[in-house]
Amino acid sequence: MTTATSLSQSAAVKSQSLYQVAWKQFRKHPLARFGVVILAVLYLLAIFAGFLSPYSPTSYESDSNRVSWAPPSSIHIRTADGRYTAPFIYGVKREVDLTTFRDKYTEDTAQVYPLRWFVSRPQASYKLLGFIPMNAHLFGVDDPARIYLWGTDNLGRDQFTRVLYGGQISLSIGLVATFFSVLLGVIFGGIAGYYQGWADALIMRIVEVLSAIPELFLLITLRAIFPVDANPILVLYFIIGILSVVGWGGIARTVRSQLLSIRELDYVQAAQAMGAYDSRIIGRHMLPNTLSYLIVSVSLIIPGFILAESGLSFLGIGVVEPYASWGSLIKVAQDGGFESITGRPWVLIPGVFIFLAVLAWQFVGDGLRDAFDPRKRQ
Amino acid sequence: MLPFLFRRLLQFIPTFLISTLVLFFVVQAAPGDFLTQLSQNPRVTPEKLAQLKINYSLDQSEWVQYIRWLTNLLKGNLGISFAANQPVWDLVAPRLWNSLILVIISTVLTYAIGLLIGIYGALRPYSVPDRIISVLAYFGLGIPSFFFGLLVIYGLVVLKQNTGWDVPITGKSSGALQNAGFFRNGWDVFLHALAPSIVLALRSISSESRFIRGQMLEVMGQDYIRTARAKGLNDSIVTYKHAFRNASLPLVATLGSLLPFLIGGAGFVEVVFAWPGLTPLLLDSLGNQDLYVIVSTAALTSLLYIIGNILADILLAAVDPRIRYS
Repeated sequence: MTTATSLSQSAAVKSQSLYQVAWKQFRKHPLARFGVVILAVLYLLAIFAGFLSPYSPTSYESDSNRVSWAPPSSIHIRTADGRYTAPFIYGVKREVDLTTFRDKYTEDTAQVYPLRWFVSRPQASYKLLGFIPMNAHLFGVDDPARIYLWGTDNLGRDQFTRVLYGGQISLSIGLVATFFSVLLGVIFGGIAGYYQGWADALIMRIVEVLSAIPELFLLITLRAIFPVDANPILVLYFIIGILSVVGWGGIARTVRSQLLSIRELDYVQAAQAMGAYDSRIIGRHMLPNTLSYLIVSVSLIIPGFILAESGLSFLGIGVVEPYASWGSLIKVAQDGGFESITGRPWVLIPGVFIFLAVLAWQFVGDGLRDAFDPRKRQ
Repeated sequence: MLPFLFRRLLQFIPTFLISTLVLFFVVQAAPGDFLTQLSQNPRVTPEKLAQLKINYSLDQSEWVQYIRWLTNLLKGNLGISFAANQPVWDLVAPRLWNSLILVIISTVLTYAIGLLIGIYGALRPYSVPDRIISVLAYFGLGIPSFFFGLLVIYGLVVLKQNTGWDVPITGKSSGALQNAGFFRNGWDVFLHALAPSIVLALRSISSESRFIRGQMLEVMGQDYIRTARAKGLNDSIVTYKHAFRNASLPLVATLGSLLPFLIGGAGFVEVVFAWPGLTPLLLDSLGNQDLYVIVSTAALTSLLYIIGNILADILLAAVDPRIRYS
């Protein structure tokens, strides 16, 4: 028998599973590696936001000490008389420019505040990883000076701190909303693809409805369910909810079309003949076969959700104060008009983070797609 | 052709009905009803409120309200905006037209530029310009349109300050123009629409050019292209008549979903550039709880999806001679 000999020959070569091959391909993909590095940095910044940022994201002073729209502090390593020293900043004085009536911040070279590492700041305590109470911060300066790496916002809150904390919200909403929409998409796509008939028709019709209404308008309409001034934390959950409701259609379509072709395969019929329950056939035999498609589409919808969340927050119908996301931070730039943009360009920094996060996820998504594509093997 | 289009139209009826149903009941789930905002207005008497309640069947069950709203919608009556105290259509029509100005200009830009650079990339794959275009396309897809819009405004303001050029930045027209002629006004609006349209088009240019490049590369590897070349046809005929026409079919087929995508996508750009389009109106209505405006506008845009899909079918038949709707 020729088949028997060829089998024993191929057994000698160590065979690789689809996922081993894909993983190898993925690691060779230059853009994907770049994307993974950016994502690692962004997620680490978000996870350790409390430690890396010098202040608390919500604290500000409203009296004569207010520092609204302070420009980024410049860190010097040369003293006024030209000697090189450890990094330090100068104290900053606020004056009112009498022609424009804007606050003007000037450095006072008489006050020197060296940059300190591992500062303890009890008024900006936080919980490391969500449960270890700490008040140590990576860097800081002695009071009364304050260090603003990326300037401050309208209330005088440190933008560097707020961008790091905003990353926690922006990045996690993307992941959580993806999780729920994949869950919905797999369940409904699975039902549609396996049972067909009226369930299929109904589900696919709903998916079509979801794509017929422009996404933004659907989000605005869904947002109308909740009062504009609802509890901030509820609003967060609600945004996750509406993003997943709007986003599951594409996944359901993918899963359904995959299942439609898989259910005709021999092993599914074999399982049916042996009397397996429908749920077992779908969950154990059919869905694992759609996994590679699912992984790719998931990695490509995460950036979509990050964009959608930041867009909603930018329009003022997403994340609300005191929470911040990158989108709501950018909203500050829009609210101030042209004056705000040209006079204080640092308000645009959060946009760079949205851009980096979306770009990095797209690199990873493209890397995964190529990794699972047999025609693109290297 | 006509019977096919009619059948296709019939297929879209359930989609339209379900989407109106979903929209209406989502809005019903919102706190308060259509009159909540109005009832807080001290100038509106309770008698007037009761009258409005009866006029809009708000005292009856939600299904009755839905049917009433839907029949009115089909008759072209989109309801009334209680905040602006005028019919929704009068409020929405100019806004819809404004949004369409942006959408039309950016669609033209998308196809003109997207197709050009897509085909160029496919004809010289992995060349230096192709790689540069690929990188730029990633940037175009990654940058949020509102952030890009803000960057463009920043650039324009700086340009204006440094050179003194009168660059139109926001709004739809310059207020200085009084009683100008039709063409002068049109030109003014076009100038104002240019920056937002380019920002809006960037994203779709990026995705369409990648898409057409991939399609072209696939088609260029087919046997019939080799045959055409072997026959001695010149390059441009092979590229445009044989390859491009086939490669563009999926592009035409997805044209229908592009329309709602662009109208929704235009929203952020409209807000950034203070363009008086649909989205700023919807956001105001959300703040005012002006529910008829929200639900009727959303329903109206789902009609655009249907129109876009039917247009795509007609175009597909025009481009692909293998398709005969008869």
